[in-house]
Amino acid sequence: MSDFAVGLISNIGMITFVALSAYLLLVSGSISFGQQAYFGLGAYAAGIATTLWDWPLALGLAFGALTGALGGGLVGALTRRLHGLYFAIATLAFAEMTRLALDLWRYQRPIGGELVGPDGPNGFAGIRRAFTDGWEPLSFMILIWVLLAGTMLVLILFERSRSGAALRGAGEDPVLARALGTDVARLRVNTAAAAGAIAGLGGGLYAHLNTYIEPRLFDVMLGVHALAYGIIGGLGTAFGPLIGVLIDIGILESSRLFQGWRMVVFGGLVALLLIWRPRGLLDEATVRRLRRLFTTPARHA
Amino acid sequence: MLEVRGLAKHFGGVRAVDGIDFAIRPGEIFGLIGPNGSGKSTTVNLVCGLYEPTAGQILFEGQDIARVPTHKRLALGLARTFQNIRLFANLTVWENLWMAENAPAHQAGTSFLKRWVGGRSDARERITRALEFSGLAHRADDLAGSLAFGEQRRLELARALAAKPKLLLLDEPAAGMNAGEIAQLDERIRALQGQGYTILLIEHHMELVMAVTDRVCVLNFGRKIAEGTPAEVQADPAVREAYLGTA
Repeated sequence: MSDFAVGLISNIGMITFVALSAYLLLVSGSISFGQQAYFGLGAYAAGIATTLWDWPLALGLAFGALTGALGGGLVGALTRRLHGLYFAIATLAFAEMTRLALDLWRYQRPIGGELVGPDGPNGFAGIRRAFTDGWEPLSFMILIWVLLAGTMLVLILFERSRSGAALRGAGEDPVLARALGTDVARLRVNTAAAAGAIAGLGGGLYAHLNTYIEPRLFDVMLGVHALAYGIIGGLGTAFGPLIGVLIDIGILESSRLFQGWRMVVFGGLVALLLIWRPRGLLDEATVRRLRRLFTTPARHA
Repeated sequence: MLEVRGLAKHFGGVRAVDGIDFAIRPGEIFGLIGPNGSGKSTTVNLVCGLYEPTAGQILFEGQDIARVPTHKRLALGLARTFQNIRLFANLTVWENLWMAENAPAHQAGTSFLKRWVGGRSDARERITRALEFSGLAHRADDLAGSLAFGEQRRLELARALAAKPKLLLLDEPAAGMNAGEIAQLDERIRALQGQGYTILLIEHHMELVMAVTDRVCVLNFGRKIAEGTPAEVQADPAVREAYLGTA
Protein backbone atom coordinates (compact mmCIF):
# COMPACT_ATOMS: atom_id res chain seq x y z
CA MET A 1 0.00 0.00 0.00
CA SER A 2 1.35 3.45 -0.85
CA ASP A 3 2.39 5.83 1.91
CA PHE A 4 -0.26 8.22 0.69
CA ALA A 5 -3.01 5.63 1.09
CA VAL A 6 -1.79 4.56 4.54
CA GLY A 7 -1.66 8.17 5.70
CA LEU A 8 -5.08 8.91 4.27
CA ILE A 9 -6.76 5.85 5.77
CA SER A 10 -5.14 6.54 9.16
CA ASN A 11 -6.31 10.12 8.99
CA ILE A 12 -9.88 9.10 8.18
CA GLY A 13 -9.84 6.75 11.16
CA MET A 14 -8.54 9.33 13.62
CA ILE A 15 -10.88 12.09 12.52
CA THR A 16 -13.80 9.68 12.79
CA PHE A 17 -13.17 9.54 16.54
CA VAL A 18 -13.88 13.27 16.86
CA ALA A 19 -16.84 12.91 14.52
CA LEU A 20 -18.26 10.08 16.67
CA SER A 21 -17.74 12.22 19.75
CA ALA A 22 -19.76 15.09 18.26
CA TYR A 23 -22.30 12.62 16.90
CA LEU A 24 -22.98 11.09 20.31
CA LEU A 25 -23.82 14.54 21.65
CA LEU A 26 -25.93 15.37 18.59
CA VAL A 27 -27.97 12.23 19.16
CA SER A 28 -28.53 13.33 22.77
CA GLY A 29 -29.81 16.67 21.46
CA SER A 30 -26.75 18.78 22.24
CA ILE A 31 -24.76 20.69 19.66
CA SER A 32 -21.17 20.91 20.86
CA PHE A 33 -18.60 23.10 19.15
CA GLY A 34 -15.99 21.90 21.60
CA GLN A 35 -15.16 18.25 20.95
CA GLN A 36 -11.80 19.22 19.45
CA ALA A 37 -10.70 20.18 22.97
CA TYR A 38 -10.98 16.59 24.20
CA PHE A 39 -9.19 15.36 21.09
CA GLY A 40 -6.42 17.81 22.04
CA LEU A 41 -6.45 16.91 25.73
CA GLY A 42 -6.24 13.22 24.80
CA ALA A 43 -3.34 13.94 22.45
CA TYR A 44 -1.40 15.87 25.09
CA ALA A 45 -2.18 13.44 27.92
CA ALA A 46 -1.24 10.36 25.91
CA GLY A 47 1.92 12.04 24.60
CA ILE A 48 3.02 13.11 28.07
CA ALA A 49 2.33 9.68 29.53
CA THR A 50 4.38 7.75 26.97
CA THR A 51 7.12 10.31 26.39
CA LEU A 52 7.75 11.99 29.73
CA TRP A 53 6.58 9.27 32.09
CA ASP A 54 7.69 6.38 29.94
CA TRP A 55 4.34 4.57 30.07
CA PRO A 56 3.62 1.84 27.53
CA LEU A 57 1.61 2.90 24.50
CA ALA A 58 -1.59 1.11 25.53
CA LEU A 59 -1.61 2.80 28.94
CA GLY A 60 -0.83 6.14 27.35
CA LEU A 61 -3.76 5.83 24.97
CA ALA A 62 -6.03 4.80 27.86
CA PHE A 63 -4.81 7.80 29.82
CA GLY A 64 -5.63 10.03 26.86
CA ALA A 65 -9.16 8.65 26.71
CA LEU A 66 -9.53 9.05 30.49
CA THR A 67 -8.38 12.67 30.32
CA GLY A 68 -10.86 13.31 27.53
CA ALA A 69 -13.59 11.70 29.62
CA LEU A 70 -12.73 13.84 32.66
CA GLY A 71 -12.68 17.01 30.57
CA GLY A 72 -15.90 16.13 28.80
CA GLY A 73 -17.59 15.02 32.02
CA LEU A 74 -16.56 18.18 33.87
CA VAL A 75 -17.83 20.50 31.14
CA GLY A 76 -20.90 18.27 30.79
CA ALA A 77 -21.64 18.60 34.50
CA LEU A 78 -21.26 22.37 34.38
CA THR A 79 -23.50 22.70 31.31
CA ARG A 80 -26.04 19.97 32.07
CA ARG A 81 -28.93 22.43 32.35
CA LEU A 82 -28.03 24.43 29.26
CA HIS A 83 -29.77 23.79 25.97
CA GLY A 84 -29.47 24.72 22.33
CA LEU A 85 -27.52 27.85 21.61
CA TYR A 86 -26.43 28.31 25.23
CA PHE A 87 -24.93 24.84 25.37
CA ALA A 88 -23.20 25.35 22.02
CA ILE A 89 -21.61 28.63 23.11
CA ALA A 90 -20.55 27.19 26.47
CA THR A 91 -18.82 24.22 24.83
CA LEU A 92 -17.03 26.52 22.40
CA ALA A 93 -15.89 28.74 25.27
CA PHE A 94 -14.52 25.80 27.24
CA ALA A 95 -12.75 24.45 24.17
CA GLU A 96 -11.10 27.78 23.43
CA MET A 97 -10.09 28.09 27.08
CA THR A 98 -8.43 24.71 26.83
CA ARG A 99 -6.61 25.61 23.63
CA LEU A 100 -5.40 28.94 25.03
CA ALA A 101 -4.29 27.29 28.25
CA LEU A 102 -2.26 24.76 26.22
CA ASP A 103 -0.71 27.75 24.45
CA LEU A 104 0.60 28.96 27.80
CA TRP A 105 1.53 25.63 29.31
CA ARG A 106 5.13 24.42 29.53
CA TYR A 107 6.03 21.08 31.02
CA GLN A 108 9.40 19.91 29.77
CA ARG A 109 12.03 17.50 30.89
CA PRO A 110 15.44 16.63 29.50
CA ILE A 111 15.30 13.24 27.82
CA GLY A 112 18.32 11.94 25.93
CA GLY A 113 20.03 15.33 26.15
CA GLU A 114 17.17 17.47 24.82
CA LEU A 115 14.15 19.09 26.39
CA VAL A 116 10.95 17.22 25.60
CA GLY A 117 7.35 18.07 26.48
CA PRO A 118 4.65 20.63 25.81
CA ASP A 119 6.22 23.99 25.04
CA GLY A 120 3.31 26.41 24.77
CA PRO A 121 2.62 27.62 21.23
CA ASN A 122 5.72 25.78 19.97
CA GLY A 123 3.86 22.56 20.53
CA PHE A 124 4.99 19.19 21.76
CA ALA A 125 7.47 17.35 19.57
CA GLY A 126 9.13 13.97 19.83
CA ILE A 127 6.20 11.74 20.75
CA ARG A 128 7.98 8.74 19.34
CA ARG A 129 6.80 5.97 21.59
CA ALA A 130 4.82 4.16 18.90
CA PHE A 131 7.77 4.02 16.51
CA THR A 132 10.41 3.16 19.10
CA ASP A 133 8.09 0.31 20.11
CA GLY A 134 8.26 -0.98 16.55
CA TRP A 135 4.97 0.21 15.08
CA GLU A 136 5.10 0.86 11.35
CA PRO A 137 2.73 3.29 9.63
CA LEU A 138 0.84 0.32 8.22
CA SER A 139 0.48 -1.57 11.50
CA PHE A 140 -0.43 1.68 13.27
CA MET A 141 -3.12 2.26 10.66
CA ILE A 142 -4.52 -1.17 11.50
CA LEU A 143 -4.37 -0.33 15.22
CA ILE A 144 -6.37 2.85 14.59
CA TRP A 145 -9.03 0.96 12.69
CA VAL A 146 -9.24 -1.88 15.21
CA LEU A 147 -9.82 0.65 18.00
CA LEU A 148 -12.29 2.55 15.84
CA ALA A 149 -14.19 -0.62 15.02
CA GLY A 150 -14.31 -1.49 18.71
CA THR A 151 -15.60 1.97 19.60
CA MET A 152 -18.25 1.80 16.91
CA LEU A 153 -19.32 -1.67 17.97
CA VAL A 154 -19.82 -0.45 21.54
CA LEU A 155 -21.78 2.56 20.28
CA ILE A 156 -23.98 0.44 18.04
CA LEU A 157 -24.72 -2.05 20.81
CA PHE A 158 -25.43 0.82 23.17
CA GLU A 159 -27.82 2.43 20.71
CA ARG A 160 -29.82 -0.76 20.54
CA SER A 161 -30.10 -0.90 24.33
CA ARG A 162 -32.78 0.69 26.43
CA SER A 163 -30.37 3.43 27.52
CA GLY A 164 -29.61 4.11 23.87
CA ALA A 165 -33.30 4.60 23.21
CA ALA A 166 -33.45 6.89 26.24
CA LEU A 167 -30.53 8.93 24.91
CA ARG A 168 -32.17 9.45 21.54
CA GLY A 169 -35.48 10.15 23.23
CA ALA A 170 -33.97 12.69 25.60
CA GLY A 171 -32.44 14.40 22.58
CA GLU A 172 -35.80 14.69 20.92
CA ASP A 173 -37.93 15.76 23.89
CA PRO A 174 -36.14 16.07 27.23
CA VAL A 175 -39.32 16.97 29.11
CA LEU A 176 -41.07 13.84 27.92
CA ALA A 177 -38.00 11.73 28.66
CA ARG A 178 -38.04 13.01 32.24
CA ALA A 179 -41.74 12.25 32.56
CA LEU A 180 -40.94 8.72 31.38
CA GLY A 181 -38.43 8.15 34.13
CA THR A 182 -35.11 9.17 32.56
CA ASP A 183 -32.79 11.29 34.68
CA VAL A 184 -31.92 13.55 31.77
CA ALA A 185 -29.33 15.67 33.60
CA ARG A 186 -27.35 12.60 34.64
CA LEU A 187 -27.65 11.09 31.19
CA ARG A 188 -26.24 14.25 29.67
CA VAL A 189 -23.22 14.28 31.98
CA ASN A 190 -22.50 10.61 31.25
CA THR A 191 -22.87 11.19 27.53
CA ALA A 192 -20.50 14.15 27.64
CA ALA A 193 -17.92 12.03 29.48
CA ALA A 194 -18.26 9.16 26.98
CA ALA A 195 -17.97 11.59 24.07
CA GLY A 196 -14.86 13.10 25.69
CA ALA A 197 -13.32 9.63 26.05
CA ILE A 198 -13.91 8.81 22.38
CA ALA A 199 -12.34 12.09 21.25
CA GLY A 200 -9.47 11.61 23.73
CA LEU A 201 -8.68 8.15 22.35
CA GLY A 202 -8.54 9.56 18.83
CA GLY A 203 -6.29 12.37 20.06
CA GLY A 204 -3.83 9.92 21.63
CA LEU A 205 -3.58 8.04 18.34
CA TYR A 206 -3.11 11.29 16.46
CA ALA A 207 -0.25 12.39 18.73
CA HIS A 208 1.58 9.09 18.31
CA LEU A 209 1.17 8.87 14.56
CA ASN A 210 2.32 12.43 13.90
CA THR A 211 4.85 12.59 16.79
CA TYR A 212 4.17 16.33 16.93
CA ILE A 213 1.17 18.28 18.19
CA GLU A 214 0.49 21.92 18.86
CA PRO A 215 -2.48 23.78 20.35
CA ARG A 216 -3.68 25.38 17.14
CA LEU A 217 -4.36 21.94 15.60
CA PHE A 218 -7.25 21.72 18.02
CA ASP A 219 -9.06 24.91 17.08
CA VAL A 220 -12.74 25.33 16.39
CA MET A 221 -12.53 24.31 12.71
CA LEU A 222 -11.88 20.73 13.79
CA GLY A 223 -14.97 20.86 16.01
CA VAL A 224 -17.11 22.35 13.25
CA HIS A 225 -15.99 19.61 10.87
CA ALA A 226 -16.72 16.97 13.50
CA LEU A 227 -20.30 18.25 13.77
CA ALA A 228 -20.67 18.46 10.00
CA TYR A 229 -19.60 14.83 9.53
CA GLY A 230 -22.50 13.56 11.60
CA ILE A 231 -24.92 15.88 9.85
CA ILE A 232 -23.73 14.74 6.40
CA GLY A 233 -23.44 11.04 7.15
CA GLY A 234 -26.56 10.84 9.27
CA LEU A 235 -27.67 10.69 12.88
CA GLY A 236 -29.48 7.36 12.61
CA THR A 237 -26.45 5.16 13.26
CA ALA A 238 -22.81 5.41 14.31
CA PHE A 239 -21.85 4.64 10.70
CA GLY A 240 -23.16 8.10 9.80
CA PRO A 241 -20.15 10.10 11.02
CA LEU A 242 -17.78 7.63 9.34
CA ILE A 243 -19.56 8.18 6.05
CA GLY A 244 -19.31 11.93 6.57
CA VAL A 245 -15.54 11.67 7.09
CA LEU A 246 -15.19 9.37 4.07
CA ILE A 247 -17.01 11.88 1.89
CA ASP A 248 -14.97 14.84 3.10
CA ILE A 249 -11.46 13.48 3.60
CA GLY A 250 -11.76 10.39 1.44
CA ILE A 251 -13.26 12.06 -1.61
CA LEU A 252 -13.15 15.84 -1.42
CA GLU A 253 -9.72 16.28 0.10
CA SER A 254 -7.78 13.35 -1.27
CA SER A 255 -8.99 13.48 -4.84
CA ARG A 256 -8.01 17.15 -5.24
CA LEU A 257 -11.11 17.19 -7.39
CA PHE A 258 -12.08 20.67 -6.34
CA GLN A 259 -8.66 21.86 -5.20
CA GLY A 260 -9.04 25.30 -3.62
CA TRP A 261 -12.80 24.98 -3.83
CA ARG A 262 -12.97 22.06 -1.40
CA MET A 263 -14.29 24.06 1.56
CA VAL A 264 -16.84 25.77 -0.67
CA VAL A 265 -18.10 22.41 -1.91
CA PHE A 266 -18.07 21.02 1.63
CA GLY A 267 -20.01 23.97 3.03
CA GLY A 268 -22.51 23.76 0.21
CA LEU A 269 -22.97 20.06 0.83
CA VAL A 270 -23.72 20.67 4.50
CA ALA A 271 -26.20 23.45 3.65
CA LEU A 272 -27.98 21.31 1.05
CA LEU A 273 -28.22 18.35 3.37
CA LEU A 274 -29.62 20.48 6.18
CA ILE A 275 -32.44 21.48 3.85
CA TRP A 276 -32.97 18.17 2.12
CA ARG A 277 -32.20 15.69 4.91
CA PRO A 278 -31.88 17.48 8.23
CA ARG A 279 -30.77 14.30 10.00
CA GLY A 280 -28.23 13.30 7.33
CA LEU A 281 -27.94 10.60 4.71
CA LEU A 282 -28.41 7.73 7.14
CA ASP A 283 -31.25 9.14 9.21
CA GLU A 284 -33.40 7.03 11.53
CA ALA A 285 -35.99 6.16 8.88
CA THR A 286 -33.31 5.05 6.41
CA VAL A 287 -31.54 2.97 9.04
CA ARG A 288 -34.85 1.29 9.79
CA ARG A 289 -35.42 0.49 6.13
CA LEU A 290 -31.89 -0.84 5.69
CA ARG A 291 -32.14 -2.97 8.81
CA ARG A 292 -35.36 -4.46 7.52
CA LEU A 293 -33.59 -5.49 4.33
CA PHE A 294 -31.01 -7.44 6.29
CA THR A 295 -33.02 -8.94 9.12
CA THR A 296 -36.14 -11.04 9.23
CA PRO A 297 -39.20 -8.92 10.00
CA ALA A 298 -41.45 -9.16 13.05
CA ARG A 299 -38.64 -9.54 15.55
CA HIS A 300 -40.87 -8.52 18.45
CA ALA A 301 -44.17 -9.96 17.41
CA MET B 1 -54.54 6.70 46.37
CA LEU B 2 -53.91 10.33 45.39
CA GLU B 3 -54.80 13.23 47.62
CA VAL B 4 -54.21 16.86 46.84
CA ARG B 5 -54.32 19.42 49.65
CA GLY B 6 -54.36 23.17 49.16
CA LEU B 7 -52.49 22.75 45.88
CA ALA B 8 -51.54 26.03 44.23
CA LYS B 9 -49.46 27.11 41.28
CA HIS B 10 -48.95 30.75 40.44
CA PHE B 11 -47.19 31.97 37.30
CA GLY B 12 -46.20 35.49 38.23
CA GLY B 13 -49.53 37.13 39.02
CA VAL B 14 -51.61 34.44 37.36
CA ARG B 15 -53.13 31.98 39.79
CA ALA B 16 -53.48 29.01 37.45
CA VAL B 17 -54.30 26.69 40.33
CA ASP B 18 -55.34 28.42 43.51
CA GLY B 19 -55.67 26.07 46.44
CA ILE B 20 -57.58 22.98 45.38
CA ASP B 21 -58.32 19.79 47.31
CA PHE B 22 -59.52 16.43 46.09
CA ALA B 23 -58.90 12.78 46.85
CA ILE B 24 -59.01 9.84 44.45
CA ARG B 25 -59.92 6.44 45.84
CA PRO B 26 -58.23 3.26 44.65
CA GLY B 27 -59.96 1.73 41.63
CA GLU B 28 -62.15 4.65 40.68
CA ILE B 29 -62.30 6.80 37.58
CA PHE B 30 -62.08 10.37 38.77
CA GLY B 31 -62.94 13.15 36.34
CA LEU B 32 -61.38 16.60 36.40
CA ILE B 33 -63.32 19.04 34.28
CA GLY B 34 -63.72 22.75 33.82
CA PRO B 35 -63.81 25.43 31.12
CA ASN B 36 -60.67 26.41 29.19
CA GLY B 37 -58.02 27.91 31.44
CA SER B 38 -59.58 26.57 34.61
CA GLY B 39 -56.37 24.86 35.73
CA LYS B 40 -56.92 21.23 34.73
CA SER B 41 -53.73 20.75 32.78
CA THR B 42 -51.70 22.67 35.34
CA THR B 43 -53.01 20.29 37.99
CA VAL B 44 -51.89 17.27 35.95
CA ASN B 45 -48.49 18.82 35.39
CA LEU B 46 -48.16 19.38 39.12
CA VAL B 47 -49.12 15.80 39.93
CA CYS B 48 -46.66 14.30 37.44
CA GLY B 49 -43.93 16.73 38.38
CA LEU B 50 -43.44 18.95 35.35
CA TYR B 51 -44.19 21.93 37.59
CA GLU B 52 -43.27 22.49 41.19
CA PRO B 53 -46.24 23.71 43.26
CA THR B 54 -46.27 27.19 44.78
CA ALA B 55 -48.04 25.73 47.82
CA GLY B 56 -49.83 22.62 48.97
CA GLN B 57 -49.27 18.91 49.19
CA ILE B 58 -49.61 16.04 46.75
CA LEU B 59 -49.99 12.80 48.68
CA PHE B 60 -49.57 9.60 46.72
CA GLU B 61 -50.24 6.50 48.79
CA GLY B 62 -49.71 8.64 51.87
CA GLN B 63 -46.33 10.04 50.83
CA ASP B 64 -45.92 13.72 49.93
CA ILE B 65 -44.42 13.70 46.44
CA ALA B 66 -44.69 17.42 45.67
CA ARG B 67 -40.91 17.71 45.54
CA VAL B 68 -39.95 14.31 44.19
CA PRO B 69 -38.05 14.83 40.90
CA THR B 70 -40.08 14.25 37.74
CA HIS B 71 -38.10 11.25 36.55
CA LYS B 72 -38.73 9.36 39.79
CA ARG B 73 -42.51 9.67 39.71
CA LEU B 74 -43.08 7.07 37.02
CA ALA B 75 -41.37 4.49 39.21
CA LEU B 76 -43.71 5.43 42.06
CA GLY B 77 -46.62 4.39 39.85
CA LEU B 78 -47.78 7.61 38.20
CA ALA B 79 -48.06 7.56 34.43
CA ARG B 80 -49.75 9.98 32.08
CA THR B 81 -50.75 10.74 28.54
CA PHE B 82 -50.44 14.20 27.03
CA GLN B 83 -53.10 16.51 25.70
CA ASN B 84 -51.02 17.26 22.63
CA ILE B 85 -49.54 13.96 21.57
CA ARG B 86 -45.95 13.66 22.71
CA LEU B 87 -43.99 10.80 21.27
CA PHE B 88 -40.41 10.22 20.21
CA ALA B 89 -40.91 10.42 16.45
CA ASN B 90 -37.41 9.11 15.71
CA LEU B 91 -37.76 6.03 17.89
CA THR B 92 -39.73 2.95 16.92
CA VAL B 93 -43.06 2.17 18.51
CA TRP B 94 -41.29 -0.55 20.45
CA GLU B 95 -38.54 1.76 21.71
CA ASN B 96 -41.10 4.36 22.76
CA LEU B 97 -42.63 1.77 25.06
CA TRP B 98 -39.30 0.37 26.16
CA MET B 99 -38.21 3.75 27.49
CA ALA B 100 -41.23 3.99 29.75
CA GLU B 101 -41.17 0.35 30.66
CA ASN B 102 -37.84 0.26 32.39
CA ALA B 103 -38.82 2.56 35.20
CA PRO B 104 -40.58 0.21 37.62
CA ALA B 105 -38.88 0.03 40.97
CA HIS B 106 -37.96 -3.64 40.78
CA GLN B 107 -35.46 -2.84 38.05
CA ALA B 108 -34.05 0.34 39.49
CA GLY B 109 -31.15 -1.31 41.29
CA THR B 110 -30.01 -3.72 38.60
CA SER B 111 -26.94 -2.95 36.56
CA PHE B 112 -26.97 -1.69 33.01
CA LEU B 113 -25.70 -5.01 31.65
CA LYS B 114 -28.24 -7.05 33.51
CA ARG B 115 -31.09 -4.86 32.39
CA TRP B 116 -29.86 -5.06 28.85
CA VAL B 117 -29.36 -8.80 28.70
CA GLY B 118 -31.66 -10.30 31.29
CA GLY B 119 -34.36 -7.67 31.55
CA ARG B 120 -35.29 -8.01 27.94
CA SER B 121 -37.54 -11.04 27.98
CA ASP B 122 -39.53 -9.70 30.90
CA ALA B 123 -39.79 -6.30 29.25
CA ARG B 124 -40.65 -7.87 25.93
CA GLU B 125 -43.62 -9.67 27.40
CA ARG B 126 -45.07 -6.60 29.05
CA ILE B 127 -44.51 -4.38 26.04
CA THR B 128 -46.09 -6.97 23.78
CA ARG B 129 -49.14 -7.06 26.02
CA ALA B 130 -49.43 -3.25 26.01
CA LEU B 131 -49.11 -3.26 22.22
CA GLU B 132 -51.80 -5.87 21.81
CA PHE B 133 -54.16 -4.02 24.14
CA SER B 134 -53.72 -0.92 21.99
CA GLY B 135 -53.94 -2.73 18.65
CA LEU B 136 -50.43 -1.68 17.62
CA ALA B 137 -48.62 -5.02 17.58
CA HIS B 138 -48.18 -4.95 13.81
CA ARG B 139 -46.43 -1.54 13.95
CA ALA B 140 -43.88 -2.38 16.65
CA ASP B 141 -40.87 -1.80 14.39
CA ASP B 142 -42.09 1.36 12.69
CA LEU B 143 -40.95 4.82 13.69
CA ALA B 144 -43.54 6.50 15.90
CA GLY B 145 -43.45 9.53 13.62
CA SER B 146 -44.89 7.44 10.79
CA LEU B 147 -48.06 6.47 12.68
CA ALA B 148 -51.49 7.89 11.90
CA PHE B 149 -53.05 10.26 14.42
CA GLY B 150 -55.32 7.68 16.03
CA GLU B 151 -52.44 5.20 16.30
CA GLN B 152 -50.28 7.84 17.96
CA ARG B 153 -52.95 8.40 20.59
CA ARG B 154 -53.15 4.67 21.21
CA LEU B 155 -49.37 4.50 21.47
CA GLU B 156 -49.45 7.18 24.15
CA LEU B 157 -51.87 5.07 26.15
CA ALA B 158 -49.84 1.92 25.56
CA ARG B 159 -46.74 3.74 26.78
CA ALA B 160 -48.45 4.78 29.99
CA LEU B 161 -49.59 1.19 30.52
CA ALA B 162 -46.13 -0.24 29.84
CA ALA B 163 -44.96 1.50 33.01
CA LYS B 164 -47.49 -0.54 35.04
CA PRO B 165 -48.80 2.52 36.85
CA LYS B 166 -51.07 2.51 39.88
CA LEU B 167 -52.59 5.81 38.84
CA LEU B 168 -53.12 6.69 35.21
CA LEU B 169 -53.53 10.35 34.26
CA LEU B 170 -55.33 10.82 30.98
CA ASP B 171 -55.05 14.42 29.77
CA GLU B 172 -57.86 15.01 27.25
CA PRO B 173 -57.59 11.64 25.53
CA ALA B 174 -60.64 12.35 23.34
CA ALA B 175 -59.26 15.56 21.82
CA GLY B 176 -59.51 15.42 18.05
CA MET B 177 -61.33 12.07 18.00
CA ASN B 178 -64.52 11.32 16.08
CA ALA B 179 -67.61 9.74 17.61
CA GLY B 180 -66.57 6.21 16.71
CA GLU B 181 -63.13 6.62 18.19
CA ILE B 182 -64.61 8.13 21.35
CA ALA B 183 -66.85 5.10 21.74
CA GLN B 184 -63.75 2.88 21.49
CA LEU B 185 -61.95 5.06 24.02
CA ASP B 186 -64.91 4.76 26.37
CA GLU B 187 -64.62 0.97 26.18
CA ARG B 188 -60.85 1.05 26.70
CA ILE B 189 -61.12 3.26 29.78
CA ARG B 190 -63.69 0.91 31.32
CA ALA B 191 -61.54 -2.09 30.44
CA LEU B 192 -58.62 -0.44 32.24
CA GLN B 193 -60.74 0.09 35.33
CA GLY B 194 -61.67 -3.58 35.12
CA GLN B 195 -57.95 -4.43 35.13
CA GLY B 196 -57.56 -2.57 38.41
CA TYR B 197 -56.17 0.79 37.31
CA THR B 198 -57.14 3.97 39.09
CA ILE B 199 -57.70 6.74 36.57
CA LEU B 200 -57.66 10.51 36.66
CA LEU B 201 -59.46 11.68 33.52
CA ILE B 202 -59.14 15.26 32.36
CA GLU B 203 -61.58 15.84 29.58
CA HIS B 204 -63.55 18.40 27.65
CA HIS B 205 -65.89 15.93 26.06
CA MET B 206 -68.77 15.94 28.54
CA GLU B 207 -70.61 12.88 27.27
CA LEU B 208 -67.52 10.77 27.81
CA VAL B 209 -66.89 12.19 31.29
CA MET B 210 -70.50 11.68 32.36
CA ALA B 211 -70.51 8.14 30.97
CA VAL B 212 -67.33 6.69 32.45
CA THR B 213 -66.42 8.57 35.64
CA ASP B 214 -67.39 7.58 39.16
CA ARG B 215 -66.84 11.04 40.59
CA VAL B 216 -66.07 14.42 39.11
CA CYS B 217 -64.32 17.52 40.37
CA VAL B 218 -65.11 20.78 38.58
CA LEU B 219 -62.57 23.60 38.41
CA ASN B 220 -63.08 27.21 37.40
CA PHE B 221 -60.41 29.91 37.50
CA GLY B 222 -58.08 27.63 39.44
CA ARG B 223 -60.57 26.84 42.19
CA LYS B 224 -62.79 23.88 42.86
CA ILE B 225 -66.46 24.79 42.41
CA ALA B 226 -68.08 21.37 42.74
CA GLU B 227 -67.40 17.71 43.39
CA GLY B 228 -69.61 14.64 43.31
CA THR B 229 -71.10 12.00 41.06
CA PRO B 230 -71.65 13.02 37.42
CA ALA B 231 -75.38 13.44 38.10
CA GLU B 232 -74.82 15.62 41.16
CA VAL B 233 -72.33 17.80 39.37
CA GLN B 234 -74.57 18.23 36.35
CA ALA B 235 -77.34 19.50 38.58
CA ASP B 236 -75.10 21.94 40.43
CA PRO B 237 -76.03 25.57 39.68
CA ALA B 238 -72.42 26.79 40.08
CA VAL B 239 -71.30 24.33 37.41
CA ARG B 240 -74.07 25.41 35.05
CA GLU B 241 -73.05 28.99 35.54
CA ALA B 242 -69.38 28.27 34.85
CA TYR B 243 -70.18 26.46 31.62
CA LEU B 244 -73.14 28.40 30.30
CA GLY B 245 -72.60 31.88 31.69
CA THR B 246 -75.67 32.34 33.86
CA ALA B 247 -78.01 29.72 35.20
